[in-house]
Amino acid sequence: MNVLPDRLPWFVAGPVLGMLVVGLFLVANQPLGASGAYVHTMKAARGDTDRVIWRVWYFAGIFAGGLLATVLGSGFALKTGYQALTVVWSTPVVAVVVFVGAVVMGYGARLAGGCTSGHGICGTAQRSPASWAVTATFMATAIVVTALLHTLTGGRL
Amino acid sequence: MNRNLNVFGGLFGASFGFVLAAARLHEYDTIHRMLRLQEFDVFLLMGSAIATSLPILWMLERRSIQTQFGGRLVLSRSKPQRHHLIGGAMFGAGWAVAGTCPAPALAMLASGASLALVAIVGLFAGLHLRDRHATRATIGDGEHRELVSAPSSSSR
Repeated sequence: MNVLPDRLPWFVAGPVLGMLVVGLFLVANQPLGASGAYVHTMKAARGDTDRVIWRVWYFAGIFAGGLLATVLGSGFALKTGYQALTVVWSTPVVAVVVFVGAVVMGYGARLAGGCTSGHGICGTAQRSPASWAVTATFMATAIVVTALLHTLTGGRL
Repeated sequence: MNRNLNVFGGLFGASFGFVLAAARLHEYDTIHRMLRLQEFDVFLLMGSAIATSLPILWMLERRSIQTQFGGRLVLSRSKPQRHHLIGGAMFGAGWAVAGTCPAPALAMLASGASLALVAIVGLFAGLHLRDRHATRATIGDGEHRELVSAPSSSSR
């Protein structure tokens, strides 16, 4: 519908996100972390007794919010995504690459106890030394691996 | 109470997903340009989110205010351990390759990008695999936590 700007600038999105972090602490005394939403959605699917149901709602909410922003922005359209990667590899290869990357990412998030939102924003905002260490580690690793990808693909990525 | 917390969970999730998608964090190109150090918007976004929430949380913690469903506000401050660094390094490597992370992957799928489903299934597989390997729960200050203070009402 193009009601939204092409891209919400960081100086609006960042502080809004910060207030959402504060808001969830005020409501539930919990971090606004996304890997926790995956963990409890998975626990609910596995039938674990220690699952936290509101985290499943939170998981579904992230999808719904993304959908709303898409509809109000450039509009919903089915596509494969990862266009930059499909230029380098065929779509099945891209699917394998993305899958392997995501498995490693999921394993690491569970091992570290959080992800970009959980440690990177909520943990750092709690002044947690562990979160600052995790955030510095994943930022540095991601920048190095991205540079490697760039080199290995002959500058195509 | 439970139902109210579920509604809040859905609303906070929706607001979060909305902001991520509106700021285009759910697109591979945005994350890739950030990690190639070609564009600093995402770093600034994260930095300004921290700069907004850190002082407010600090102040609220000092006043030891009551949260609505979770008892007295308690912030987690764990010491870094080996698993944080190994997990962080694995997460960073996977993030660089997949070009998305847990929340933006959901928003990416919502934008119609079908390959995001592969990323989401992969994330679940990785989390599940770690649960199978784990002999004890690891401490992280970013994930859902068992409440430290006595909750005034049900936290579930």
